[in-house]
Amino acid sequence: MTQILFKNINMKDLHTMKVYEEQGGYRSLKKAFAQKPEEIVEAVKASGLRGRGGAGFPTGLKWSFLAKDVFPRYLCCNADESEPGTCKDRELMLKNPHMLIEGMILCAYACRIETGYIYLRGEFHDLNFIMEKALEDAYAKGYLGKNILGSGFNLDIYTHLGAGAYICGEESALLNSLEGERGEPRMKPPFPAVEGLYAKPTVVNNVETLCVVPYIVNEGAEKYASLGTEKSKGTKLVSVSGHVKKPGNYEVVLGTPIREIIYDLAGGIRDGNKLKAFIPGGSSVPMLPADQVDVSYDYESLAAAGTMLGSGAMIVIDDSVNIVETTLRLISFYMHESCGKCTPCREGTRWLYQIVEKIMQNKGQLDYIEKMEDICDNMNMKAFCPLADACVSPVVSSIKYFRSDYEEYFKNVPVGSV
Amino acid sequence: MSDNEVTLTIDGKSVTVPKGTKVVDAAKRIDVEIPVFCYHEKIGPLGCCRMCLVEVEKMPKLMTACTMDVAPDMVVKTTTDKVVKGQKGVLEFTLLNHPLDCPVCDKGGECPLQDNTFKYGAPDTRMEFHRANNAKATPLSPVITIDRERCIACQRCTAYSERIEQDSALVMLNRGFHNEVGTFNNEPYNTRFSGNVIDICPVGALTNTEFRFKARTWDLTNTETLCAHCGCNCNITMGTRLNEFMRIEARPNDAVDDGWICDKGRWGHNFMHSKNKITTARENSVGDGKPTSFPVLPHNCTIEDAAGKVAQAFKKIAEEHGPESVGFIGSPYGTNEENYLYQKFFRHGLGSNNIDHKSYQDTPGLPVSHYGVEQVETSNVVLLIASDPTEELPILDLRIKKAVTACGTRLVSLNDQKIALDRYSSQSLQYKVGCEAQAIDTLTHGLARELGEPAPAKDADQSGISAEDMKSLVETVRTSMKICVVYNPSALSGEAVFGVKRLLKMIAKVPTMECGAIPAAPMTNALGAMDMGLLPDFYPGGLSMSDQEEIKKQWGEKAPTGTGLSALEMIARAEKGELKALLVHRSNPVMDFPGGLRVTEALKKLDLLVVHDMLETETAKLANLVLPSNGPGYDEGTTTNIGGRVQARKKALETTQAPDWKIINLMLNVLGDETNYRRVSDVTEEIACRVPGYQEISKRSVGKTGCNREPISSADESVSDKSVQAGKGKDGSLRLRIATFLFAHDKILDASSKLAHHFQPSTAHFNEKDAARLGIQDGNTVLLSAENINLEAIARVDNRCQSGGVVVPRVSDEQGVNGLIGADGGTAWVQVRKV
Amino acid sequence: MSGFTFSAEQEKEIENIFAKYPFKKSAMLPLLTLVQRAERRVSPEAMVAISKKMDCSPAYVQSVMSFYTMYHAEKVGKYMILFCINISCQLNGCDKLLEYTAKKLGIKVGETTPDEKFTLHREECLALCTEAPMMRINDTYYGDLTEQRIGQILDSLD
Ligand SMILES: Cc1cc2nc3c(=O)[nH]c(=O)nc-3n(C[C@H](O)[C@H](O)[C@H](O)COP(=O)(O)O)c2cc1C
Ligand code: SF4
Ligand code: FES
Repeated sequence: MTQILFKNINMKDLHTMKVYEEQGGYRSLKKAFAQKPEEIVEAVKASGLRGRGGAGFPTGLKWSFLAKDVFPRYLCCNADESEPGTCKDRELMLKNPHMLIEGMILCAYACRIETGYIYLRGEFHDLNFIMEKALEDAYAKGYLGKNILGSGFNLDIYTHLGAGAYICGEESALLNSLEGERGEPRMKPPFPAVEGLYAKPTVVNNVETLCVVPYIVNEGAEKYASLGTEKSKGTKLVSVSGHVKKPGNYEVVLGTPIREIIYDLAGGIRDGNKLKAFIPGGSSVPMLPADQVDVSYDYESLAAAGTMLGSGAMIVIDDSVNIVETTLRLISFYMHESCGKCTPCREGTRWLYQIVEKIMQNKGQLDYIEKMEDICDNMNMKAFCPLADACVSPVVSSIKYFRSDYEEYFKNVPVGSV
Repeated sequence: MSDNEVTLTIDGKSVTVPKGTKVVDAAKRIDVEIPVFCYHEKIGPLGCCRMCLVEVEKMPKLMTACTMDVAPDMVVKTTTDKVVKGQKGVLEFTLLNHPLDCPVCDKGGECPLQDNTFKYGAPDTRMEFHRANNAKATPLSPVITIDRERCIACQRCTAYSERIEQDSALVMLNRGFHNEVGTFNNEPYNTRFSGNVIDICPVGALTNTEFRFKARTWDLTNTETLCAHCGCNCNITMGTRLNEFMRIEARPNDAVDDGWICDKGRWGHNFMHSKNKITTARENSVGDGKPTSFPVLPHNCTIEDAAGKVAQAFKKIAEEHGPESVGFIGSPYGTNEENYLYQKFFRHGLGSNNIDHKSYQDTPGLPVSHYGVEQVETSNVVLLIASDPTEELPILDLRIKKAVTACGTRLVSLNDQKIALDRYSSQSLQYKVGCEAQAIDTLTHGLARELGEPAPAKDADQSGISAEDMKSLVETVRTSMKICVVYNPSALSGEAVFGVKRLLKMIAKVPTMECGAIPAAPMTNALGAMDMGLLPDFYPGGLSMSDQEEIKKQWGEKAPTGTGLSALEMIARAEKGELKALLVHRSNPVMDFPGGLRVTEALKKLDLLVVHDMLETETAKLANLVLPSNGPGYDEGTTTNIGGRVQARKKALETTQAPDWKIINLMLNVLGDETNYRRVSDVTEEIACRVPGYQEISKRSVGKTGCNREPISSADESVSDKSVQAGKGKDGSLRLRIATFLFAHDKILDASSKLAHHFQPSTAHFNEKDAARLGIQDGNTVLLSAENINLEAIARVDNRCQSGGVVVPRVSDEQGVNGLIGADGGTAWVQVRKV
Repeated sequence: MSGFTFSAEQEKEIENIFAKYPFKKSAMLPLLTLVQRAERRVSPEAMVAISKKMDCSPAYVQSVMSFYTMYHAEKVGKYMILFCINISCQLNGCDKLLEYTAKKLGIKVGETTPDEKFTLHREECLALCTEAPMMRINDTYYGDLTEQRIGQILDSLD
């Protein structure tokens, strides 16, 4: 299998400058500096790279949206990694911090940015040390700072720790948080590319997204674009967790059948149980039942199947589980993480929680399911940011595919009782 | 249609609005109502409540009309099934945990949540769980109650605190479902403008503590009137029931208050029912057996009778001792009508020009445009001179903050003390206390040199401002394109006010400059008092005494044309026994005038002192005769705010007591004037006929929001251009600057005031150099003395002024700080020692 | 309110923090983190001190502080155990293990041991799903938890 991000991932001391350089690290800089910034943006566009943080927005296009002639501009690496099921960025930074720095330098050069921040979720205090050490080494080598490698290009990168809030992964909430505010999302427009950090044009990209850029610069956009499907280019890290024999982060070429990911890479379902459902893109995307396991893992196929690739977290659920339990847990997550700013999200998540909790106490009423669907409809796409929609996903999909799991709980309920 | 306009369609109707307008506001223009909770035009979009969902063609999801800018050819629909379902859904969420305690909620009847539910909501709820319980009514401050259970977390109030008052004292705490409105560590929410959150809360979460459970809103009689505390003249609604005061709310008027009022305006109304209110005419026995030409009043005489006797007595004295022997100290708090009639009484009736209303120097009219307060927002530069809007004219403070943070205005200031607004200024220059004239002249000369106008080669500026700082201020002013100069004449000593006028003339000479000024005296109707001619040297409308021909033409052959005595001169003449009779209207020279004990002594020497006031004062105690004045709440008429806007003050409470204008009318009649005003607007009409600048003013033109008076002619500043030297005090003494403090504990905010928690102890603010020299440390008690008066204060070593000065905020009547100023009204020198 | 001052070392640290950003206000979270790590809570006194550094209202500091779950108004134990209970860990039996941990520490979830050594909190996904069930104690991640392993880890901490 083609490995771009994880090629040497388990190599000893890959996190050190020495080993990273031995493996060809930072080689892309010279190549990049020989080109005009716009050429790199074009290359990233041509590579077909799409954002790996969840939304899947074409990266090169995003870079080209930066407000013209407005400076300074900022780069924010989204290392908030909080989407349940997702832990790929953590492994990338832990084992290969320089790859992210190299990617950030390339992005900054392409976008004429001189200051970058790595927004790490607060719990990644350990990673902060690793990133800071790597940054220090990069400064020492002249990869960061003033006049990098004689190119005349300057760049400073700093780390910034959050403090425990899932919503700060949402890019505009991240910017607020980085500006020292409550992590409530901002109104859009203006989008960060126009008015982002400190109201200046800002690129926000996920760790994995940025880590791909050195490969594109080194090997060329065509080579990257030759991987994957027509609309989903390249490889993707998939965090496989749940009831599999070999959970782990795996790099797959987009278009790989999900069956291969679950059964070949992750070793299949454990304890002799059967696959019941899987959530293919982190907790915020709709789940699919076992019979969809042959869908191929790429943006368009998953969309056609009614779900999303999201952040690339494959949560595998076996048939020992009643889906209502996992659904309640996810609703509880979104209720806990709702910033509280807008009404449908703040109130809707809690109401859904109350209803499912009641159901699980065998106290539900038969019309609860319809009511939940209606509440979800009232939340969906009506909230301030996509967090409410994310909460709706597991609820609606669990009802759609596993209605009988809900009905289990209604069996003992006398009709009409509360 | 200009480039700055956009045409779109809302519910099939086309509307053209300025670019950047939000869809929700565009809809209002064509009477399409889009329901909102969190959106407030003055606060700006938040997008929290999601009540304003609309459908926009080509957009897949419903959009919030409050956050969306209009776009050309946008097609908006507000009544589709999708929208209706969205609105119902949002309302259901909003009401999910909102207690249904409408029957006992003070917001009932004027509650957007009730109204929106009525119009857009479902008839019942599907919520069958227990509603979240949260704290019921708890005090957020002594005057505001918060009911967290009712809060729908729309964030209007916290956004107000952040964006309008800009102190983030009220914030959202916690996250998600647990978020709540609160203050730091549960401390009271005690800011200058805290009460506005009551008006903007769309539910009954933030309520006015004094109004709670007093009345149902629909039972109130609402009078649209004015706040009478300061020169801003903010618009308010006074709610009463059965002739009893209930509450005050803001009544938005963009040209005046931008929709907000300060807490003094909202809660500082106890004086209306103060036990110190003067309600009957009475005679005092001064008791020193001095001869009085005043006839003894019969017991229980009516106010009208007493007024008649007053008029007769003044007539008699004027006839016996000449018109120069009588005088009038009017009021910068009185209405235009009262002021106009009183000057008429003295000039027309008694032939005296001994008329004044102030103890500082000033003349009517400006050599440049008189800007309305809204011009602050459109100016490139606002220059504050000797002005501290935060304490003196609170609503102006909000307007300036808005201008600086939202309109790109630069604030610069020339002051003798640090002020709260310095935070917002790009340059705050501090001259030494008492050196304003010099500092202002240096600025004028600097500009003159830049413009090639005659000016001294070099200023020997002793004002304490460095040459570089001054140079940069000159540059800021010169390049400002549009400048608004805000100055407080009552805080300028000596003749510095004329320096300001010369400065204005000089600024106006800068090519392509738009220059305007706001004379920002803090008193409610200071401008109106000047316009109405409560001045010894000007007839109403800025008609100068020197223009005798015009005076005779306007006011008749008998009209006196000799310059009269100023207020301070009247006191001095009284001291010498040369002034015989004085009428004081709503003014308290004993407390407020310079000269301390000498004022009292002087007043005692008068044959006749009549005080016409609403509250008992130290001056009233000395009077032979006291007449009651109704005062705000009961009185009516017009006042002119600092921006030159004339507005109607209406009476909200009825009283049987004759209004001031009627009393004066009666007095005029005694002197033979036949005019019989039937209502106050008859006086307004006469003002319109006779006072230049007020031609357009009438009951109708003033309407609900007022009408700007025309600029009145500016007096020629004949004062010489000599540079002014601040006098010298005794060794080691400091120059005193008396600062204004909004919540001073005086007759207006007495001990029973709702705002008593704002009262401050007496403090004296030193520069560290002086403090070191005098061995004073922060927190020490010090004694300030001058004019045989001692004043105790807590020392604050905070560099509020430059060395050589001391700033003492006037915090109470009891403190008596004005007594420290000498009778000539110049800069006071105080001796300071630690006790 | 007084009673909180930054140490000389912290003052230096604060200077370094300010140097990272073009605008002071970005230092808010780093300063709160600095205090939280030193005091194991953010007291009102500390919020006042931070507000002075940041030139903002103390209410604003509290507003930000109370939004983020890693700041605590009440003092937490020397060891802060964040036990992930989100989906991947749930699927791998974290609920039982959390119960076990609480029992072993003799406290309820959300509480601190009387000796102020441990605080046990339920936590949402911490990004180690592939090693679920997992927990984080102070800055260290522990994956592939079993009762035995939890026992060993807790015992190894002093
Ligand atoms: C509620 C929410 C949480 C998110 N969390 C993350 C996150 O933890 N990490 C991330 O990279 N992107 C996250 N995103 C996506 C970001 O908003 C943004 O799309 C992404 O950082 C853009 O980078 P990319 O284009 O490289 O993917 C989240 C989005 C939402 C709505
Ligand atoms: S108290 Fe009122 S204004 Fe403030 S958030 Fe709640 S509902 Fe909104
Ligand atoms: S009014 Fe539009 S979201 Fe509240």
